[in-house]
Amino acid sequence: MKKTSRLSLTLRVTAIAALLAALGLWVATGSHRGWTQTSKVIQQHDEITGIDYPVRVPGFVAGVEVLAGGVAAAAVLGGASLFTNRRRTASA
Amino acid sequence: MKNTSLRSSLQLAVALSATALIASAATQSFDFKDPKGVNNVQFKLDAPLESITGTGTGISGTVSFDGAAPESVTGRIVLDTASLTVGNPLMGEHLRSANWLDVAKYPAIVFEVVKVANVHAKGAQIVGDVTGRLTVKGVTKDVTVPVTFTLLADKLGARLGNEKLKGDLLVLRANFEINRSEYDIMPGQSTDKVDEVIHLSLSIAGAAPRA
Repeated sequence: MKKTSRLSLTLRVTAIAALLAALGLWVATGSHRGWTQTSKVIQQHDEITGIDYPVRVPGFVAGVEVLAGGVAAAAVLGGASLFTNRRRTASA
Repeated sequence: MKNTSLRSSLQLAVALSATALIASAATQSFDFKDPKGVNNVQFKLDAPLESITGTGTGISGTVSFDGAAPESVTGRIVLDTASLTVGNPLMGEHLRSANWLDVAKYPAIVFEVVKVANVHAKGAQIVGDVTGRLTVKGVTKDVTVPVTFTLLADKLGARLGNEKLKGDLLVLRANFEINRSEYDIMPGQSTDKVDEVIHLSLSIAGAAPRA
């Protein structure tokens, strides 16, 4: 029976964790399909003049590059786990 | 005969003086440096992933306006380019860099009124096509912008929460477009990433206090 090495298993778990963390962060901050924002706009209304005006407040909104980064990190870690496992199988 | 002529001349002089006084009283100078920080210009450029949107709030300038003769409006509005913000910090750096707006070298965007045409009332508002000189990144072009004027008489005190303060407010609203290439903003470059047309939306209020 083929055994998975501890290093390989750690890499795979880390890959899944990275993917879930990126996906979770992206969903939790609003599933924004644009670039990452470090501030949010809240629309306000001035009663006397009738002017609608944006107020920018600090706030993190993860963009698609965060999601892409998580997927890329997971792919690299997953690929490395396969590589380390293959080397171990070959040396056994 | 001589007395009648003198009386007529005096009457004419009094009438002219009165007219001049009324005219000067009716034309008010509105200061657009808003203490409440409400005045804003919003801009939007189309881009493949999402539109690039941002805001400029550093607005100043004065406009002389007479509700009875809106076609005589004069003035200039200045936008501090350093006040322009976008949500993405890297995008903001690009926006202020030498390639784009070059904020360090060109700290202001200026619109100076030259003339107003097609003035007409629209409910409580006055609408007109304002032609002016728009200066962006050191390039000045004539542009015509449809502007809505709303004169709010005796509203200054209520707005600033001080009923003792007397004065009027003038609200200007305008939506128009400019082409960034015409103002030397990356002309003909990065058109696949950022559209050349900049959509601008202006909502500003000026105050004219009365003694």
